[in-house]
Amino acid sequence: MSEKAATASTPRTQSSKRLEPLRQVDAGVLSIAYYEAGPADGPAVMLMHGFPYDIHSYVDVAPQLAAQGCRVIVPYLRGYGPTRFRDSATPRSGEQAAVGADMMALMDAIGIKRAVFAGYDWGGRAACVGAALWPERCIGLVCVNSYLIQDIAKAMTPQRPERELALWYQYYFQLERGRAGLAANRREIARILWTQWSPNWAFDDACFERTAVAHDNPDYVDVVIHSYRHRFGLADGDPQYAEIQHRLAALPPITVPTITLDGAGDGVAPATDGTASASKFTGRRVHRVVPRAGHNLPQEAPEVFAAAVMELVKA
Amino acid sequence: MSDSVDRGRRLLLGAALSGIASRAFAQAGAPAPPSRRMEPLKHVDAGVLNIAYYEAGPADGPVAILLHGFPYDIHTYVDVAPRLSAQGCRVIVPYLRGFGATRFRDPATLRSGEQAAIGADVIALMDALGIQHAALAGHNWGGRAACVAAALWPERCRGMVTVNSYLIQNLSRAMVPLSPKYEVALWYEYYFQLDRGRAGLAANRREIARLLWKQWSPAWDFDDATFDRTAAAHDNPDYVDVVIHSYRHRFGLAAGDPHYADVQRRLASLPPISVPSVTLDGDKDGVLPAGDGSASASKFTSRRIHRVVPGAGHNLPQEAPEAFAAAVMELIRA
Repeated sequence: MSEKAATASTPRTQSSKRLEPLRQVDAGVLSIAYYEAGPADGPAVMLMHGFPYDIHSYVDVAPQLAAQGCRVIVPYLRGYGPTRFRDSATPRSGEQAAVGADMMALMDAIGIKRAVFAGYDWGGRAACVGAALWPERCIGLVCVNSYLIQDIAKAMTPQRPERELALWYQYYFQLERGRAGLAANRREIARILWTQWSPNWAFDDACFERTAVAHDNPDYVDVVIHSYRHRFGLADGDPQYAEIQHRLAALPPITVPTITLDGAGDGVAPATDGTASASKFTGRRVHRVVPRAGHNLPQEAPEVFAAAVMELVKA
Repeated sequence: MSDSVDRGRRLLLGAALSGIASRAFAQAGAPAPPSRRMEPLKHVDAGVLNIAYYEAGPADGPVAILLHGFPYDIHTYVDVAPRLSAQGCRVIVPYLRGFGATRFRDPATLRSGEQAAIGADVIALMDALGIQHAALAGHNWGGRAACVAAALWPERCRGMVTVNSYLIQNLSRAMVPLSPKYEVALWYEYYFQLDRGRAGLAANRREIARLLWKQWSPAWDFDDATFDRTAAAHDNPDYVDVVIHSYRHRFGLAAGDPHYADVQRRLASLPPISVPSVTLDGDKDGVLPAGDGSASASKFTSRRIHRVVPGAGHNLPQEAPEAFAAAVMELIRA
């Protein structure tokens, strides 16, 4: 079930390097900004970022995959960077069904039939949603923290207090004070979370700022607050995703080949041996613990993450 | 406005900690062993409660009422109470509503934890015991109760000692965020807004209390017996209801008990404290960082001394009993 991944060692790119130029495409309810690299006819890989991060989680993963022949697509999620809602009336939902559906809409919009889905945090959840509900579109799944589809029916079941403590921001965001706090102090909150979640990661100010500008998106606060309220059943979902959420409520299994990675230094979702989620993976699934890596695993251990993607591409 | 704990007292504390206690300190008493309980308890009907309390010292001595906080109990004062009684005080240490052996007299009474209620409970206890005047001293919820009583019933209060200065909550600003580094420390208050937090407190009250003790008093090396002695007070059948209500009301997300509406209305104006006061901050307080007292200066209209106590955390009376007891005695003797 579980293997130990090699420690990453290659030097990282400079914090001044940006994933550019961006492309922009209408996809479902969004106009999605994304970075693309690699040959247009290569096997496609969707690299999905999390909160409170952006596409630069993949600043070192994307070139490694492109150099090995992949067509790499790295979108800004709804509420991040230059991605925009096409209609001002669309609810700024951050629910799991929406972020999953967005990824599928992007694949449709740019003509990708099948891809490896890879992500962590919100992006890992989007990848799980896509893999579980549209397996015919998914070559394989790479996900940090294993199975990430939320069991909202169990949202009021407490965890051990030290785990609850780590979720302070989710509880904070339930209050209007938390919304106001996120709006006023989004950088400070993001920096605290980066530090708590990746205690071994020595990111510099330029690295942080490169990503933090993506949080100036006008929908960021609404999408983030809705996401965490919906997650606890305390905000209604967007009706257009009701059918998807209904299917997710059954906690559908993931049938595609999967590699799950846990960072041994993850400060919010502690590393596991993968067994607790084993029943959710009905295809071939390999689980690895990555030494020292924290929650932002693709940026902290890009070689390990890219290698996992390539294993699925080559399989 | 601010002076630090005088050098002599600090030297005394240092000497005691290094095992060469002076004769004076030995008379005051070394820290009580964790097996020592504040017993026997007395019980009295007081307002809506039957309050359990510990009493020590001469019945005709000047009265000091020592008020504990969350998630603590009367043993916060296990080393303060004997110091005060040895100096002639009548010391009263009640269990707050929802803690220890204190009980609601009527099952229909709302299990409110609002500031007006815990302040009114202090006055009800004084009435029940026939105490006209007392020095009111407390930390955390107990400091808030002391502030409420001192602000609204100054004729009953000969002086006030609180940790963290002025503690009457400004509910009208409850939705104004603090800097995120302070919001992180309030995780439990946000957690308690959800029914998940209520269920978590009910299921894991000891574990949550231990986490908070460690976060709030990072320099305090308490042992399991010390923790367990206090944690037993959280098995009170009203503990979860009172705690959850307190933190929901604090953010304006739970209605108060109408019985205290007038008291809360008066508190909403953030009334000043007009009695002599000593305020103490622990310089190792992990939830409310020590300050120089100036931010709350306008709330104290009489003589007020502010001190920062070296090495002390949020449970200051138990961590630095000499400093706390000395502050109470200064007000008693004034």
